[in-house]
Amino acid sequence: MLRTTSQIISHHARLEEESAEGYRALAQRYPDHRDAFNRLAEENHRHMARVERAYRFGVTDAYEVGITSTQLDPGEYQLEEYTGGALAEDLATALRNEETMMRFCLDAAKTSGELLPDLPDTFDYLMKRKRRRVELLGSLT
Amino acid sequence: MVVLEEPIKGVIELKNYIDGEWVESEASETRDVVNPATLKKIAEVPVGHREDVKAAVDAANEAFPRWRRTTPLTRARYLMAFKQLLEENFEELGRVVTMEHGKVIDEARGEVRRGIENVEMATGIPSLMMGYNAEDISRGIDEVLIKQPLGVFACVAPFNFPFMVPLWFMPYAVATGNTYVIKPSPWAPVSMMKLVELIDEAGFPPGVINLVNGEVEPVSEILENPGVKGVSFVGSTKIGRDVIYRKGTAHGKRVQAQCSAKNFLVVTPDADVELTVSSLMSSFFGNTGQRCLAGANLVFVGDDQAFMDETLGIIKERAAALKLGYGLEEGVQMGPLQAEPRKKRVVGYIETGLEEGAELTMDGREYSCDPYPETCFLGPSIFEGVSLDMAIAREEIFGPVMSVLTAETLDEAIEMVNSGSYGNAASIFTTNGGTARRFQYDVECGNIGVNIGTAAPMAFFPFSGMKDSFFGDLHGQGRDAVDFFTENKVIIQRWP
Repeated sequence: MLRTTSQIISHHARLEEESAEGYRALAQRYPDHRDAFNRLAEENHRHMARVERAYRFGVTDAYEVGITSTQLDPGEYQLEEYTGGALAEDLATALRNEETMMRFCLDAAKTSGELLPDLPDTFDYLMKRKRRRVELLGSLT
Repeated sequence: MVVLEEPIKGVIELKNYIDGEWVESEASETRDVVNPATLKKIAEVPVGHREDVKAAVDAANEAFPRWRRTTPLTRARYLMAFKQLLEENFEELGRVVTMEHGKVIDEARGEVRRGIENVEMATGIPSLMMGYNAEDISRGIDEVLIKQPLGVFACVAPFNFPFMVPLWFMPYAVATGNTYVIKPSPWAPVSMMKLVELIDEAGFPPGVINLVNGEVEPVSEILENPGVKGVSFVGSTKIGRDVIYRKGTAHGKRVQAQCSAKNFLVVTPDADVELTVSSLMSSFFGNTGQRCLAGANLVFVGDDQAFMDETLGIIKERAAALKLGYGLEEGVQMGPLQAEPRKKRVVGYIETGLEEGAELTMDGREYSCDPYPETCFLGPSIFEGVSLDMAIAREEIFGPVMSVLTAETLDEAIEMVNSGSYGNAASIFTTNGGTARRFQYDVECGNIGVNIGTAAPMAFFPFSGMKDSFFGDLHGQGRDAVDFFTENKVIIQRWP
């Protein structure tokens, strides 16, 4: 279970990294959409950096830190692997993965509010950005 | 189980940093520095020698005239370079703090961040150090106040915030043009070695910042050496008042000694339960209770037994669920006490509480820290039915122990807070503004929390404290620190 801020940040980083790896693989597999997939992968890294920065700049031993009453189950936020069958199939997987990432950001925003005041805003921001990614993926055929 | 990589490999032989060089101590005897979670030896620290301090003070005095003439803006730029290096090494520093102290990684990173905040604050020295003036105090006569550095200052640091506390003082001291000697806690000296490595890398001139490891002898020399102008201390009242303050002032030094605490957290029946419980958990059990701002006594106001039962019930449920272990394991919420003697001391207080007739409704001695050795670990403990005449309600325990008391009225609660000898911190949890104002107005403590469990002042405010929690006039951090490290000089001038 994710019960500390540090765990939440690490899990988020893992998700963004996995997501980026997936898009880099799709970029190679589907040359027509190489630029779009590469941009998504780059954005994954920016999102990861943004959360880490918000944590590092905001973490403090004053106020509350480290002890949360609500816990997140990392098993509920796992990304699916791409089958490589066809573009439509991989895009559907990508969309489900983005939904998983958004769900994690939403839940992390709620949980981290108890721990670190600046983090919920950052996760909320990522939610908005990830909605745009869903729109972009929907436009690829 | 994800355990972050340990930055300390093997055993570090700690040295002193004097006049820009890493040098051996004159003392041949050393003490082991042990990771309290794993009991692995991580360093050997010299017990220290008076000659070490003499050499450091001589180097600092030698460096002072030139450093004083270095412009405040240039001094600030050294601090900016230092701050950049602290950011680049942020994660390593946090992990080192966890290894030498035992606190969990979130707490350790928080400590590093709060230390950096003081460096950031001190980079504003060109403005902070400005004096003031009045034109024509009499016809054709002007009066000017300028702030000047004094010379060599030193700090004697505690084990509980080994990285942050020296930064309450040192950045302000050197920013204002003084030179400095850091004496870290011998229990947790590694993060200061890492910090001084970064000071060296930042390019501070030799002698401006020096590091001397050790125990009693170096402290005695700091207090007696005529070359030291002032001393900052954080630690127990016994040492702070009876040794540091008395001896330091007797030798003509400026002294700021921030000492022990016994903090009351007062809860009124109209408090927001969720917010209150969250804050109480962190205040009483965060940093394993080893904070001078930690909650110690929890006071419920009024006769609303149902509210008290509900609040305590949630606290116990959450406290029982806390995961103990090695702070580098990311899911761990509470680390060990810093060393075995500290655990023995806290266990001793638990036994005292039982002898005094308090009811131990949660026993921290029964917690599991598997797979780590139990030597330094202790879970959260809760005593109910505590009265003010008990030692567990009056004396600083410095561990994860909550003593629950009741007061019929807010007046009685405030009297309880003020009856203690300490005056470090107190908090109130309420949704009534009038109650909060009354509390902050009447309570005799330096740091007050309103719906905040750990009232830790930011770098741009002084870390306050009064009564037996503070000895001196000016506190660490903020403008107080700038004033502590400078002398006000007044010039009255008339030009024919």
